[in-house]
Amino acid sequence: MKDHPAAITEINLAHEAEMPPLPMSIGTTLVNKTGTWRYFRPFYEDKTPPCNNACPAGEDIVGYLALLKEGRYEEAWRLLTQENPFPGVCGRVCPHPCESECNRIELGGAVAIHTLERFLAGEAAARKLSFVAAQRIDEEPVVVIGAGPAGLACAYHLALWGHPVTVYEAAAKPGGMMRLIPPYRLPAHVLDREIANIEALGVRILTGQRLGGNLSWGALQHYQAVFLAVGQSRSRKLGIAGEKAEGVLSGIDFLARIERGEAVRLGRRVAIIGGGNTAMDAARTARRSGAEVTILYRRSRKEMPAAEAEITEAEEEGIAIHYLTAPVKIWTENSRVKELECIKMALGEPDASGRPRPVPLPGSEHRIPVDTILPALGQEADLSFLDETIQIAQGQIATDSATVTSRQGVFAGGDVATGYGTVAHAIGSGKRAALAIHHYLRGESLESFPPLSQAVHRAQKSLSPTVVRLENLNQDRLTFSARPSQRRLDAQTRQQSFDEVNLPLDEFTVRFEAERCFSCGICNACDTCLIHCPDVAIKRDGLGRYRIDYDYCKGCNICAVECPRDAMSTEEESKWKE
Amino acid sequence: MSTDLVRPRESVKPETIPEEEYMFSGHAACPGCGGALAMRHALKALGEKTIVVIPASCWSIIAGAFPSNALQVPLMHTAFATGGAAAAGISAALQMQGDTETTVLTWAGDGGTFDIGIQALSGAAERNEDFIYACYDNEAYMNTGIQRSSATPWGAWTTTTPVSKFKQEPKKDIVGIMVAHRIPYAATASVAYLEDLVYKFRKAKSIRGTKFIHILAPCPPGWKSEPSQSIKIARLAVQSKVFPLYEVEKGEKYTVNVWPEKPRPVREYLQLQGRFRHLSAVDLETIQHNVDCAWEELVKKAKESGTC
Amino acid sequence: MERVIMGNHAASYGAQLARAQVIAAYPITPQTQIIEMLSEFCADGRLNAKFITVESEHSAMAATIGAATAGARTFTATSSHGLALMHEMLHWAAGARLPIVMAEVNRAMGPGWSIWTDQNDSLSQRDTGWMQVYCESNQEVLDSVIQGYKIAETVLLPLMIVIDAFVLSHTSEAVDIPDIATVDRFLPPRKAQYKLDVTTPHAFGGLVTPSHYMEMRYKMQKAMEEALGVMEDVDREFQQIFGRSYGLLEEYRMDDAEVVLVTSGTITSTAREVIDSLREEGQRIGLLKMRVFRPFPTERARNALACAQKIAVIDRNISFGQGGIFAQEVRSALYDAGTRTPLFNFIVGLGGRDVTPTSLRNIATFIFEHETPPEDIIWWEVNK
Repeated sequence: MKDHPAAITEINLAHEAEMPPLPMSIGTTLVNKTGTWRYFRPFYEDKTPPCNNACPAGEDIVGYLALLKEGRYEEAWRLLTQENPFPGVCGRVCPHPCESECNRIELGGAVAIHTLERFLAGEAAARKLSFVAAQRIDEEPVVVIGAGPAGLACAYHLALWGHPVTVYEAAAKPGGMMRLIPPYRLPAHVLDREIANIEALGVRILTGQRLGGNLSWGALQHYQAVFLAVGQSRSRKLGIAGEKAEGVLSGIDFLARIERGEAVRLGRRVAIIGGGNTAMDAARTARRSGAEVTILYRRSRKEMPAAEAEITEAEEEGIAIHYLTAPVKIWTENSRVKELECIKMALGEPDASGRPRPVPLPGSEHRIPVDTILPALGQEADLSFLDETIQIAQGQIATDSATVTSRQGVFAGGDVATGYGTVAHAIGSGKRAALAIHHYLRGESLESFPPLSQAVHRAQKSLSPTVVRLENLNQDRLTFSARPSQRRLDAQTRQQSFDEVNLPLDEFTVRFEAERCFSCGICNACDTCLIHCPDVAIKRDGLGRYRIDYDYCKGCNICAVECPRDAMSTEEESKWKE
Repeated sequence: MSTDLVRPRESVKPETIPEEEYMFSGHAACPGCGGALAMRHALKALGEKTIVVIPASCWSIIAGAFPSNALQVPLMHTAFATGGAAAAGISAALQMQGDTETTVLTWAGDGGTFDIGIQALSGAAERNEDFIYACYDNEAYMNTGIQRSSATPWGAWTTTTPVSKFKQEPKKDIVGIMVAHRIPYAATASVAYLEDLVYKFRKAKSIRGTKFIHILAPCPPGWKSEPSQSIKIARLAVQSKVFPLYEVEKGEKYTVNVWPEKPRPVREYLQLQGRFRHLSAVDLETIQHNVDCAWEELVKKAKESGTC
Repeated sequence: MERVIMGNHAASYGAQLARAQVIAAYPITPQTQIIEMLSEFCADGRLNAKFITVESEHSAMAATIGAATAGARTFTATSSHGLALMHEMLHWAAGARLPIVMAEVNRAMGPGWSIWTDQNDSLSQRDTGWMQVYCESNQEVLDSVIQGYKIAETVLLPLMIVIDAFVLSHTSEAVDIPDIATVDRFLPPRKAQYKLDVTTPHAFGGLVTPSHYMEMRYKMQKAMEEALGVMEDVDREFQQIFGRSYGLLEEYRMDDAEVVLVTSGTITSTAREVIDSLREEGQRIGLLKMRVFRPFPTERARNALACAQKIAVIDRNISFGQGGIFAQEVRSALYDAGTRTPLFNFIVGLGGRDVTPTSLRNIATFIFEHETPPEDIIWWEVNK
């Protein structure tokens, strides 16, 4: 507003001499504080976006998409990695529950968050970005067992708080289950780089150290805090005759050997038992060696736990899938696998998992010739190293929601405590453990655990835990915008190489994709509230957002209704409350 | 592939709306007043070299009592019937002073435009006086307590068209009347389409002669609607084709500005307003039919103008 | 420069010499010649002004108000029903304190339609806050327009110059049309203190609550009172430059008058003849010309009539249910004098009925024959 003589707010007409002889204004209506009219006051209230809420690692997705949209890649990457140090990994292998919850689904398709996460990881690599080290607050190290996603995430967050951390890893290389993901899904250099970033913070990773082997449980006793993140290293058995024959190798072990560069003699025909992502990984890796690959799964496609894209890509690569088929017996010759006897199944009533129980169909037995059988039926934890001070429940280390075990100073997370089976959940679990350990070491009790969706570092900000759904948005202000399709290498090329299957999006498309984000629940300064206020009561706050001038706001609440993304709320004016 | 991509509208800030404000808070408009929001943006479009003429209407009160002024620009209140004439006088004085930059804006309600003010408006238009005449139309004499005007739509309750005999006459086609004067520019505008409104005022400012802009201004007390719904209602008016957004240049060339992608039934627009609550299903059909016919006429004119 | 021109054109020349900048007017008999001449002046450049051919008198005053609020010197003209149609805006112009000058040709109100002279139209507007000057000659019309601007722009109230229809408006007389340079010396350009100005924005004419409205009205009345002195000052200055003056009222042969005729408009010039004739017959009769009606020169009128023994007010108008309007105002002015001089109120010439020297002579005879008025209102030469 210009500083005009007319723009005065104080009017004193006590003296007749000051009055003009005609009805001419000498002041402004700013003297009239219309805020007293109000019954309901609107206010800015950021709420929880559904993607943030769904992310197992607690990423501030809406936050970093906003930065990415403006080309502020480094800031976006830093905001993302404030919660999750593995965007390159998660952007490729996470089942992206964020996208399943995205409110954009019905208006052109979910935002391709995972692709944008991957893009940011790539940008960070290209610019050689690294994490910023924190001031040491402690001299005593915290010990983490297992350099998988849970262990490394825990180490990372503790390091950011200034704790020294030592990670013991049984395998020759850190990474845990992430290391076993085939390179056509997760190139090794991506994983290596993100682990190296964590090490660069001062986290010590000591490989070849097996707890219960060359590293004793007793040796850990004098550490002030221990985080057990050993995962589920034992593969479930088939439980059928012939299992111990030559040519039967668990899917996990197969992938581990391939990762180590060992030659594995597969023969011509390979059968994979199982329907999860490990089964797909094993099948597609085997396929790339030129074998004929068949997957046997005892339920139908609908019940297959593997990601839909994985299944489709496997089929495109010439892998046969036999549904409703279960192995019954392994026939050998010279102690080597020769044939696999199978039986067809039918779907019956739901079992404990909620899925239809497979029921064998008598008389449907048949044999298929095989050279190698790779069972991928899931993993279990090897807890033989523990003593009785650590309670176990259903084959997992028992913990409360804050990863605290039955023993003071010992925390557990990742698959060994939750059995959840995804990288993202393990990362979230590791972060939770870091929070618990950090408070424990400071002698503070963790009264209430902030929801992970609010992100550990954002817990101080006031963010309503209300999750924003499509019906909360002002759909009059949203438009249809199509999601770009995922480009992949063609199936022919894929069968002959371990090159990454999913191709990245170009930068232009990435920036556009970030614009498709509605920013559910989070104000992104779109100016809608500002321009629609009939009383000019919404002003810029100088910090990129807005403030309501309650001296004048009449409480029409047009701003709250028009806000496209439900970043405002309304409450009854306190003077009218009982 | 990248050329197929269109930035989602909701992601784009309204860059065409100027930042500077020319209206103060503390004005006396009801909460949710469409007329207040319209003035705010009209002045943003026109800038500080604007003189506003306000004939008797809600804005006579909204502008504030002596000694206050709600506007950052000079403002002359005038009698009810005189919006067109007073502006003509100011325009003449400015010409005598050699001022070719200041815009004269008459800001009148529907009463002062459709009814008591139509003579002065018609006279000024026939003489092609150089000013912008904006009518903020809340479809009744709201300032005096919701009495009907010739801008009140068919079917509406007002205090002088009570429910037992609601308004029987159709709304006067004021834009048609102005177009018949062959003025250089006539247009409709809406508070739910503020960028379009700003564009139209800017365009009007750049043209010499009489420019007429008809703005639909939702009125919560008069329409018996929720103040928070005013913009939504204005948007539905356009999306249901009750109040199409279009321009007419030199009385001949019709351009439709907003083509509703998913046109809404008029019922959706009407049901947010208590002033239509009494209408029967047959009444609603009548309204829908009339709206559809009027839209077809407009589209036909646009086609004949070669703008679509 | 001396020219024989009609009364209406005298008004046009007045506006031209005063350098009016914006003229908004609507034609009505018998005003039309005023605006036709001004139209020509504007078209051929003899007057640098904008002429707005509005579509009604109400719009004429509204446009004039707009232009005046924007700081221009303005002029308009009307009559009778046109003036009546403007009524709302006459109040507005005065309340807005705008120095508008208007030529008002006195014409009877219909129904029935009448185009002839009568004072009801202008006198009906006496409460609006406009100053009113009643002219007797074409010269007086021209001079009053020029003086009018100076007065109006000093006290900030509008002013109407009242001209009898046809008798004055359409009658030609010799008029001295001053040269414009001289007028410029007398009347500089208008410098509006309060106006629409984008550099110092104000709102004009908005809502005024009871807390402030009375003070504004008080100031208007004060301005009217001030106008009496201002008019005399301006008249004196005019005399010095142009050699002519008119005063607020004129006493004609009143020094020892026992009977005084009080007149206004063109009846005054007829009355002068009759007074002279009666004086020659030895009658002690005088004439009081009421020139300025608003503000009403109460004290001066009271003083002028102090020694009269009979007063006859000649009204070419009537306020129905009361009586002649000049009579009301004169009677009211005399109330505090305590003299209770008999006052005869003659209603004459409504609707343009001619008021001849014989009519006035007969009125004088009537007065000589009556000690007191036989009736409150004496309708003269009316077929009852």
